Amino acid sequence: MSNGAFTQYDVVIVGAGVSGNLIAKQLGLAGKKVLILEAGLPVPDSREEYVNNFYLALAKTPESPYPALAGRTGSQQNPVGALPDPSKLPTPRATVLSIGKAPDVSYLVQAQPWIETHDPKLPPQNPPPDANGNIRGLQFSSTFERNGGGTSWHWLGTSLRELENDIQLQTKYGHGVDWPITYPELQQLWALAEKEIGVAASTAEQEPLEVVGLVYPTGYQYPMQSIPMSTVDDAVSKGIAGLQVPGTLPDTPGGSDPTMYNVFVTPTPQGRNSEPYDDRRVCAGNTNCIPICPIQAKWDPTVTLGKALDTGNVTVSYQSVAYNVAVDGTNATRIDYYVWSRDANGNLTKVSKSVTGKIYVLAAHAIENAKLLLMSNNWNGIANSSDQVGRNLMDHPLYLSWALAPEPLFGYRGPLATSGIESLRDGEFRKYRSSFRMEIGNEGWNFSKGDPYTTALDYIQGTNNTGTNDGGPNGAPQRLAGVQLAEKLNNILTRQFRIGCMFDQSPMAENRVTLDVTNGKPNNVDGLGLPRPKVEYGLDPYTMEGFRMAAYVCSQVYQKMGAKEFTTTGMGSAGDFTYRGVNYHYYGAGHVVGTHRMGNESGSSVVDASQRSHDVPNLWIVGSGSFPTVCTANPTLTLMALAFKSADSIIAALGS
Amino acid sequence: MKKTITIILLTVVAATMVLMTSIPTTMAPAQSNPAIVLSPNIPGDATFGPLPTNPTNEQKLLAIQGDFDIYSWNTFIALNWPPGPDGNGDPNKKIGQNGDNDTVWEHYRDVADIFLPGGATPSWNGPETVPTQCKAFYKPGMKILSQVGKTPTVLTDFSQPFNTGPLIDQNGNYTRYDILVNKPMFDYILANKLYSKAGQQAFKGEVQFPCGGPTGPEGAIMVKSSWKVISPADRGRFHTQTVLVYNPASQNPKYAASCSTKLMGLVGLHIGHKTDSGAQWLWSTFEHVDNAPSEADIGSNNTLKPKTYNYYNPKCSTKNCPPNQVPPRPWNPTKLSAFHSQIVRMNMFKGNEFAFQSAAARNADALQLLLGVNSKSVWRNYELISTMWPTNTGKCQATPGDPLGTPAPNFLANTTLETYIQGMVPNVSSNCIECHNNATMTNAKASDFTYILQRAQ
Amino acid sequence: MSTNPSTPSEATLQAFADMSAALTGFQSSFIRPFLDPVNLSGTFYSFAVSQVGQPRMDALLAAFNNLNNQTPKPTPQQIADTLLETSLDAPSLQAQLCQSIVAMWYLGSWYTPGVLGGNGFAPPALQVITSQAYTKSLVWNLAQSHPMGFSPFVFGYWSQQPASLQTFGVDTSNGGGQ
Repeated sequence: MSNGAFTQYDVVIVGAGVSGNLIAKQLGLAGKKVLILEAGLPVPDSREEYVNNFYLALAKTPESPYPALAGRTGSQQNPVGALPDPSKLPTPRATVLSIGKAPDVSYLVQAQPWIETHDPKLPPQNPPPDANGNIRGLQFSSTFERNGGGTSWHWLGTSLRELENDIQLQTKYGHGVDWPITYPELQQLWALAEKEIGVAASTAEQEPLEVVGLVYPTGYQYPMQSIPMSTVDDAVSKGIAGLQVPGTLPDTPGGSDPTMYNVFVTPTPQGRNSEPYDDRRVCAGNTNCIPICPIQAKWDPTVTLGKALDTGNVTVSYQSVAYNVAVDGTNATRIDYYVWSRDANGNLTKVSKSVTGKIYVLAAHAIENAKLLLMSNNWNGIANSSDQVGRNLMDHPLYLSWALAPEPLFGYRGPLATSGIESLRDGEFRKYRSSFRMEIGNEGWNFSKGDPYTTALDYIQGTNNTGTNDGGPNGAPQRLAGVQLAEKLNNILTRQFRIGCMFDQSPMAENRVTLDVTNGKPNNVDGLGLPRPKVEYGLDPYTMEGFRMAAYVCSQVYQKMGAKEFTTTGMGSAGDFTYRGVNYHYYGAGHVVGTHRMGNESGSSVVDASQRSHDVPNLWIVGSGSFPTVCTANPTLTLMALAFKSADSIIAALGS
Repeated sequence: MKKTITIILLTVVAATMVLMTSIPTTMAPAQSNPAIVLSPNIPGDATFGPLPTNPTNEQKLLAIQGDFDIYSWNTFIALNWPPGPDGNGDPNKKIGQNGDNDTVWEHYRDVADIFLPGGATPSWNGPETVPTQCKAFYKPGMKILSQVGKTPTVLTDFSQPFNTGPLIDQNGNYTRYDILVNKPMFDYILANKLYSKAGQQAFKGEVQFPCGGPTGPEGAIMVKSSWKVISPADRGRFHTQTVLVYNPASQNPKYAASCSTKLMGLVGLHIGHKTDSGAQWLWSTFEHVDNAPSEADIGSNNTLKPKTYNYYNPKCSTKNCPPNQVPPRPWNPTKLSAFHSQIVRMNMFKGNEFAFQSAAARNADALQLLLGVNSKSVWRNYELISTMWPTNTGKCQATPGDPLGTPAPNFLANTTLETYIQGMVPNVSSNCIECHNNATMTNAKASDFTYILQRAQ
Repeated sequence: MSTNPSTPSEATLQAFADMSAALTGFQSSFIRPFLDPVNLSGTFYSFAVSQVGQPRMDALLAAFNNLNNQTPKPTPQQIADTLLETSLDAPSLQAQLCQSIVAMWYLGSWYTPGVLGGNGFAPPALQVITSQAYTKSLVWNLAQSHPMGFSPFVFGYWSQQPASLQTFGVDTSNGGGQ
């Protein structure tokens, strides 16, 4: 039964994010009738409320601007620490502030780090490796949104293409799996995505990266001129001139790649305006891409949603949480969903509805897609003859290092990142260790240490929480005032910079999302009574060897620049692990992939190259969950590229 | 008797109009006070009276806001003055003497006639661009032209900047927008070849439009107007024009091009003027008095004036007509819309009450003058919302370290032009200077606070 | 003046602003310009009083006025060092209040006087005072930049060297020399 509208829908899409909005737009332009079921709140008419939430947030995390009902942070009414209980929320989601916490705070149900569960008087420790050398029981640290527009409200904008060898890791290097799609086809699809987003770059500037297999079709032009590199980029680029590093460090398990690789900086293709484009303003360097661009110079999925609505063929039903995809024999026949709202007293109410279409598309994010598939058919799951739904959960675990440059390089300016070191993303070493890209941050030590707050308070109060304030007698911290304080902070802040390394983490079947149920009963639910996702996560030696290499490369970069490194790692907190006697810390990059991977074989994959379910022919499962490997580029551009392919295949399946 | 005294006073004021030439930063008294006058002379800049003795911060702001609001009214009066043959205000006529009149600013150059296809060279006096679909209406001898025999305005734009949404009246018609610039602004664009992409690319240096000074002449002026479809019975309450409303063909949403003649009433007027005291420009905004009730009007019972609003239906409850909502997409201006905008003026002056006080006082003064010309003057139906001015700036250039010039008031919006960002969130809610600071040419170089240069082809 | 008894007088606000200028190292014109439509001095003064009470604020301003009226007149640096007690090991309650005032101007948030950070983390703030307190916070000027989320600059500025610290409001003429 339809949801009350007179229209019979051709396609029902779950999720108004990158993929959902793009597919809706393409279908709408082709004259197809589309309903989008979006779990969260509507796209607001202006971003005033979101930006104001951000300004007032005490913890300016990626989630800090976004709707209060699902976990707002930081204000007089809701200071950090009083986080909402996911079991009371209609659309709880993973947030940075809930990482490592128990299920009364954390939406994802997962193992907690030592620091949350042990007597603090005991010495802290990290989980030890298992018999295979894998470390299990680690926190999955990436987060997402559930609202109109989705997670990519707060993507950084990085729009790199994958490398040729990224999508054939198994064939070239005997590791992971290959993608079931060719590079030339992806090149065509990327061009469409780059136009949709409005990516600013120059192929001429990318030419040095041919050495790692980044090639463009002859004559390809990006939609806009590239974004100028920052003073930080320039300083790093000049400072590392001539630097080379080997493919592997001595004693790398499995083998070695002694080739010396050149380390150099290239500007990053970015989804933000370098010219007036698409009725949006040019980037003014608000340095706030994550969590929100106040002037929408950076593309976000609401832009594409607007175009989808312009077709006149797309309807969005907000506050609509899909909980069951009914499958009758082989085909999907309807989607059951709750429409939730709050009454005058703020109490949550829900009404169950159903909608039918000819084709169904799940575009709810890698974790929510998996959860919905597993919940369907009375929690027996659907579309899962491969048993891969929820498995192979991957991120780009992020290793952060930071330093003080010898001379000011003026961070805290421009987009959050305008360049990177991409030249180490491919090579023989991928047989033995994870590859990684290196993102040069323009935001000083904001990510690393919560600066400029921590440094400012160090010198105001005479503490040394950042490591730089040891200039007093016998290394004591200084406490300064007036112009002396101002000039000292100027000296420090203008020399701060950081590098984030993002790893091509291995797909592992045991890294997975399941339903948090025992004996058919949920252990933890959300406010609508739906089971919560349980996450099991860990790292393998292949990935951890990557960390070892990255730490080395970062130190080499700093050394060559004459910069003083201040990277610290702890023990016992979420994200801490020990590998070969060295402590590391990883962050989540927000790049959640793998949970419904694509492949040619239905026995080992959930969807085909068009993201169509192998098992249920009128069901498409789209998004970065389809990635068989996480590769070395940030995923948004590629997941949108794949959505174009999915849209074409859906239109073909619908016939005329 | 009172009228005579008023005239004498005005003459005295005019004769001693030396006054201060920049925002007073000391307490030194000036010779006399600025005042609103009925004059066709466009002020080159604001002029300033003395500050009160031992003033508080609020009192200083109130005094200087008052000077800028006087400047705004004098500019409004002069720009809406009936023009003579040379395009300047005709000293032998008075604004509103016959009720309505053709205006000086409507003889400025429309941006559609500056940024031509192929980057062709524009001219100040050349023919106006008339789209193909409109030519059908263009028969010789047909009395569809406005009062002075000039080519009717072609109105095209219907969505507010950055595609934030259209404004739709209570009859389902879309509000239309138009941008024109004065000769000094046009001449700068022409001389520096900024009317084309290629010209902008070749331009070296910074775009710097000319500043007006307190003794004149005026600097670059850009005017943005908003228009509503009205019926002939409404003529007496609006400045009206018979216009050609042109809808270019659209791919998405999909509709064909069309053109029609409409009787339109002016509902909003933005005047941006680059001056010595306004290196970040001075921004004056006026609205038709019937546009929308204010938050305060709606808050208390029975204080809604018993009148018809241009963009508000008093009979529709808040539940059924939540205020200030963007119309749902798709937006198709070729058809009447079932959705009608329900607009409320939000209070954006909290903490800046001086802006509200000053505008109210200046509006009362101006109304008296305009009614004095003709009690049926259409211009009696327009009010100043406020003037945004930079409090910290140098003569015709920004103070280093403060590119925005710390504007006062902190926020300002016209309900017809910035309908959906009437808030108080920095960098997002409507603030003329903050938003226009993001303006660039087609090559992303700064364009001196105007978005029109990005229209170049 | 004002009928509201809790609205501070011009003299009080100016003293608070002058003291803040000395404590923070910024020029008075950045703290409280001649024309002040944002009026952070008023907002911060009132907020601090709401946290620590009028008597403590009065005592602090009296101490500042005493210093400021000495002959020879101390430099802003000397006033700052005296009020913030930078030469003492343990700052008094009044000096801690001064620290919180510096933090208001630099960071736009209220930090409870005397609460220190630790273990690599800054102390928690009570709240961001207002959104304008954040968008006009001054620590970013010390980075010769702008608050994250509020850029008054134009496209491409990040590829150029910024203006000087003096232009960004620090009173370098009165010498720090660190």
